[in-house]
Amino acid sequence: MKLPVVLAVLVSSVAQAQAIYDPPPGRNFQGVWLIQGDHTTVKTIEGKLPPMTRAAAARYKARNPASDTIQTCKPHGFPRILFAAYPMEILQEPQQVTFIHEVHHMPRMVYLDLVLPKLEDMDPNWMGQSAGRWDGNTLVVDSQGFNDVTTLDAAGLPHSSEMRVMERIRKLDADTLEDVLTIDDPKTYTRSWSTRVTYKRQPGLRLKEYVCTDSNPEAAKGASPPRKPGA
Amino acid sequence: MRTRLLLRGCIVGLGIIAAVATGAPSDVIEGPLLRPAASSSDPRDLSGVWFIRLYNRQINSTLGRLPPFTAHGKAEWDKRVKAEKDGSPIADASAYCWPHGVPRVMNSPYPIQIIQTRGKTTIVHEVAHNIRHIYMDQPHPADLAPSFMGDSVGHWEGDTLVVDTIGLNDRTWIDEVGVIHGKQLHVVEHIRKIEDGHALENLVRIEDPEFFTEPWYARITYAWRPDLRLAEYVCEENNRNMPVAGHTVAK
Repeated sequence: MKLPVVLAVLVSSVAQAQAIYDPPPGRNFQGVWLIQGDHTTVKTIEGKLPPMTRAAAARYKARNPASDTIQTCKPHGFPRILFAAYPMEILQEPQQVTFIHEVHHMPRMVYLDLVLPKLEDMDPNWMGQSAGRWDGNTLVVDSQGFNDVTTLDAAGLPHSSEMRVMERIRKLDADTLEDVLTIDDPKTYTRSWSTRVTYKRQPGLRLKEYVCTDSNPEAAKGASPPRKPGA
Repeated sequence: MRTRLLLRGCIVGLGIIAAVATGAPSDVIEGPLLRPAASSSDPRDLSGVWFIRLYNRQINSTLGRLPPFTAHGKAEWDKRVKAEKDGSPIADASAYCWPHGVPRVMNSPYPIQIIQTRGKTTIVHEVAHNIRHIYMDQPHPADLAPSFMGDSVGHWEGDTLVVDTIGLNDRTWIDEVGVIHGKQLHVVEHIRKIEDGHALENLVRIEDPEFFTEPWYARITYAWRPDLRLAEYVCEENNRNMPVAGHTVAK
């Protein structure tokens, strides 16, 4: 009586194993990660304000924090969502790396088999389109196709719809993920510039439900508390 | 260009032959395929993009009729049907750009993508960027604050993925017409591949003693869509029901 049960369990666990993809250890970014440090004002790797054109600098100076689009629950957009003080989860498949951000429960799909269309053929949107490839154990992601409604950070760094973002994402150790972003946007910046952000692995942490459009006190009690104000 | 067209013709042709050979659904696939014409032969590999078939904004029970309402459930149904008929429909959660809830989100005319990783099944929905986190082979946490999407745990029974969901708030609907629910809602989904991997079946068991006299089932099927990637859907871009001073005000 017991043997068939054991066999059935064995067979079923083998079948299950086939369906699940395990990335090679060096390329395994799966899990929940939390940003390190304060990135409300994004600086270059050298620690400076990015090199804005004169027009962009004037726009930056005249910015109005009240018009920040996230105040009306619009998406953070990319790459600003990478600087948000909320956890993000990474899911890996052979042809796709998916980032799920707790804030606004926003997904970003990085397709490893996508050739980015020409900019003029893209419909500009909040998160753009992302094509990735592996360079050793570094995930290189090329993103374009953004609207010009979002800013790069909470402080209001501008960008145009021609922005291109190149990321190099790798593990520094088992629990630390590094993303070096290079921003190329000649309409806004006098040269391309890079910034760096790191994340720490959060074992056992689950993404919570975050509903910006909801002001219900019941939810505020347990289901969707902002982790940090002003993120 | 000609080679590409020819290749595309061959792929579509093969798809049609495969569909005819297996008696698979005749969902028309246009454009180059991103994934194989049928999902993998592994019955437990549900990963990929699926699209609801025969979408109906009203969820009927598998008996082909309205759910077995309690008096309260029927009154709430009647109220919503009448309001819509009178030209002043009552808004459901999705109209406020809130998450659609479970099982409502599984009955939406937009594609979904299933991602299977170790210990977890994640469903990314195009509609309103809803995300379902289904934790595998684990019990529900003890103290659940009610949420729009609830808490989902899953396990395999043979080649059927069984997903158990509780911890839902009472602010989403079950369908788009007027089947609503309370916080006692308990949803058990039985998800499996059918038609040689060309489709997915979700047999949804719905239980809520406040609204229904007995548990009932709905059946939803989805077509395998190897030609699709999920698009960006931002409800918040044109949200006309923003919360004002702590209250949601319909404008």
